[in-house]
Amino acid sequence: MRRPANRRRAEGPVMGRMMARFRDGGSFEVAMVALALAYLFVFATVPMLYTMLMSVQKIDMFTLGSLARPFVGLRNYAHVLAMPVAWRVATNTAIFVFLSVFFQLVIGLALAIYFRQSFPGAATLRGLFLAGWVMPALVVGAIWRWLLAGDFGVVNYLLNSLGLIKGHIFWISDPHVALYSLVIANVWLGIPFNMLLLSVGLAAIPEDVYEAAALDGAGPIQRFLFVTVPMMRATLGAVLSLSIIFTLQQYDLVAALTQGGPSNASNVAQYWSWQLSFETYDIAGGSVVAVLMILVVILVAILYVGSTRFEQQA
Amino acid sequence: MSRLKCLGAGLACAVAFGFAAAPHAEAAHVTLNVWTVDLENQYMFPLAKQFETLHPDITVRVKHVQFQDINNDLARAGITGIVPDVSYIDNPYVDLFRSRGMLLDLAPMIAQSKVIDLAKFYPAPLAAVQYGDKIYGIPRGANTLALYYNADMFKAAGLDPNKPPQTWAEFYADAKRLTDPAKQVYGLAFSAVASEEGTFQFLPWIQMAGGDYNRLDTPDDVKALQFWQRLMDDKLASPDTLVRGQYDSTATFNAGDAAMAISGPWELPRMAKDAKFDVRVALLPTMTAGGPHVSALGEGDNVILAKSAHPKEAFALLEFLNSQMPKVWNKSGFLPVEKVTVDHPNWPTEYALFLQALQTARVRGPSPHWADISQAIQTAIQAALTHQATAAQALATAQQAVDAAASE
Amino acid sequence: MKRWLLLGFGLVITGIYLFPLYWMYVSALKSSEDLFAYPPRFLPHHIVWTVGHVFVQHEMATYLTNSLIIAGGVTLICIVLGTGCARVLARYRNRWVDVALFAILMMQVLPSSLMVTPLFVGFSEAGLLHTPRLAVILAQVAKVMPFYIVLTRANLGQIPVELEQAAMVDGASRIGAFFRIILPLARNGILVTGILVFLQSFGEYVYARSMISEDDLQTATVGLAAFLGPNTSDWNGLMTYSAIYVTPILIVFVLLQRRIVSGLTAGALK
Repeated sequence: MRRPANRRRAEGPVMGRMMARFRDGGSFEVAMVALALAYLFVFATVPMLYTMLMSVQKIDMFTLGSLARPFVGLRNYAHVLAMPVAWRVATNTAIFVFLSVFFQLVIGLALAIYFRQSFPGAATLRGLFLAGWVMPALVVGAIWRWLLAGDFGVVNYLLNSLGLIKGHIFWISDPHVALYSLVIANVWLGIPFNMLLLSVGLAAIPEDVYEAAALDGAGPIQRFLFVTVPMMRATLGAVLSLSIIFTLQQYDLVAALTQGGPSNASNVAQYWSWQLSFETYDIAGGSVVAVLMILVVILVAILYVGSTRFEQQA
Repeated sequence: MSRLKCLGAGLACAVAFGFAAAPHAEAAHVTLNVWTVDLENQYMFPLAKQFETLHPDITVRVKHVQFQDINNDLARAGITGIVPDVSYIDNPYVDLFRSRGMLLDLAPMIAQSKVIDLAKFYPAPLAAVQYGDKIYGIPRGANTLALYYNADMFKAAGLDPNKPPQTWAEFYADAKRLTDPAKQVYGLAFSAVASEEGTFQFLPWIQMAGGDYNRLDTPDDVKALQFWQRLMDDKLASPDTLVRGQYDSTATFNAGDAAMAISGPWELPRMAKDAKFDVRVALLPTMTAGGPHVSALGEGDNVILAKSAHPKEAFALLEFLNSQMPKVWNKSGFLPVEKVTVDHPNWPTEYALFLQALQTARVRGPSPHWADISQAIQTAIQAALTHQATAAQALATAQQAVDAAASE
Repeated sequence: MKRWLLLGFGLVITGIYLFPLYWMYVSALKSSEDLFAYPPRFLPHHIVWTVGHVFVQHEMATYLTNSLIIAGGVTLICIVLGTGCARVLARYRNRWVDVALFAILMMQVLPSSLMVTPLFVGFSEAGLLHTPRLAVILAQVAKVMPFYIVLTRANLGQIPVELEQAAMVDGASRIGAFFRIILPLARNGILVTGILVFLQSFGEYVYARSMISEDDLQTATVGLAAFLGPNTSDWNGLMTYSAIYVTPILIVFVLLQRRIVSGLTAGALK
């Protein structure tokens, strides 16, 4: 990767740069960015602001249409956070996101490295993995619900045959296990995406760097730690933040697999918020959870933007 | 993109035309939009066709909506103003939509009607739609719960298939006797899922113990929930009972993986096909010998939306549907909601038994806050069955939630 | 020898990964008795072929067409609006770009299940719900465009600025350089990201479910969800439906996957 040639000019004073842009057709560039941003503003920011507004109003499903709604300050927040299930959902969400992202990344990276080796059919096999990517989450949830069924599920049968467990694990209905079932299905869903992007990152590392490291006597693990990881920082940052966001958005899978149950054992924020809004018509409560999620993702976004800085140094 | 937009706009016009333009185009012709949870070929679809042939000036457009989505869809329709003329509503939720002013009071039209006679209705279905002197819907049919059992398994376990369990204690003993982990057979299949279905299955038990949806925490109520806990703890039913709906649970009974099942008459056609053994049905067992028998009222009501532009025609449709009551059992699998004679009912024994159960059935609620109440009950069931709380704690929490909802 | 060992192990892990798909196909062919048998049967005892029945009864032709229209519309708008933005954000590196990137990322934070409420109200006010598929397209574009921009930006960033500058020295305007130099070079990357966006939108559920009330305009995911209701859990039908739904995209994807991978990696190697 290389440093943009006009980097110095790009860092000049704002006004001067704006003028320069207009002179050489830069307004075209500004327009292209502005157009996309304007679109996102209308169809994403405005609804988000509206969600924030609803989180401080007295509102339910039936008063959604009328605009005269009393403000209640932070009362909705107090109400939601006081619910016994709130803490549980927060913990579940943290576990769900952490485990999902961790295993997606580790397995994705391992597979990317494995299929980078040269052997017959490597590219084809890697391509087959991507099948998971095209599967709608709703379908994936339905299939996993079927695979993980407690009494006649094939996963229990296979684990029993291999002698790994005795008896049946009730993947969906055991409150100690349900959340991990969700993680398993989500990891399955996220592996192809991680592997693909990490493959791209790996391919960007010039072969001669490895050769040089090998000449210096670095073993495979050292090469991984001191060549692969540093050179992949930008990719890893992007993959990590995108995985976190995708996992936080994973609603379809929860809806198809566990519906947050049993007894909220696998309930996560994005699903709980929907339940509040659409099962008990408490739009205000649902909006509160949504706003709290926004705060979390702001942190993730900062992480991502920070990671793009490494692109310049790589 | 522009072509796509044109296409979208064209379709939109077509749709808008269907909704709005019909009365202007032809003054006499009326289009009724109807939402229902039926699938194609069930209840509303064929009956609407029949109605159209009787009323050539009325077109009925029937739309299928998922059972779990219909409340949401109706609420959203209230926001957009694009409401159907007639809709299905599950009986405990009539009060919600009524309280939000979305439903038409049918009492004046019923008073004039030669078809609909309130005096003939059974009390429970009527209670779901009657508020003082106002009537917000016409019950379209009913169902209720009973105990199905596999008579072959009863014999094999040394039980008398002619003596199904009468009390909870007998029920527990039989279920235990029938459970055979080696053969992957559970004594019982039922549903404690965290949805309206779980509430539907649990309420009869708490009602037999003397409680109700708004009186959940007496010592006897706690016993009802503890009884369910024992069924689960002793593995007399699959742990998946917590996450399976009634249809899925009963499927395991049909497949011979459970010896008894608690479910309703809608299962009969599938059982006739799938269950390759001697299926019998009995009333739910009572808490104590000779104690009160209570069952749950299922199925729903046809309502007319207050914003409907064609209330007269919509009511004509409701009258026609009501006139079909003697046929609902054989054609749709619903129990009739009023005293009618059913000629040659399918499954006559089962029909008689379910009809008997219906006499002690109770409507859920009614309460405009049924969604909150139902969720409180589901939460209590699930918390107790997973031992996150004791039965007493779980029901006390539920009682608080119900009280809070009622005071809103 | 080592290469064949690698292949063998590669086959095993691919097989394990793809087992859920195999199970979907087998279950689609099983009778209800076979489905609930334990130990599970890895091959159906007798094959129940319900593909035609499910396809017709569930109006899959209509649903799949609608899904195609929506996914196609989303992809098109996304490419038109997102590509230029991604290029500019890839080309410059300053505070404003940081702010723009941050803003774009922030826009996709909320799941559709939460965005749908405010969007529904807004679209209802704007009359967009009378063109429900367009409404879904507009909402879904906002959902996937940040993803498109982020991925395309990584790809476009690999195209040296010198190429553009050289074209401008030769008298091309900046606009001309973008269309004549950048776009052709980025074609593969755009295509690949476009396909990913397409496939993601093909599986969209929440917006279609909430905004489309006309059955004829409904998408395949919503048709699928009909199987997941409490009293309609017909596993054979569900798996058959899923198989019909995903098979065409699986085939297209497997055929195109080399191009997809090389499209992304080629950009990275430049």
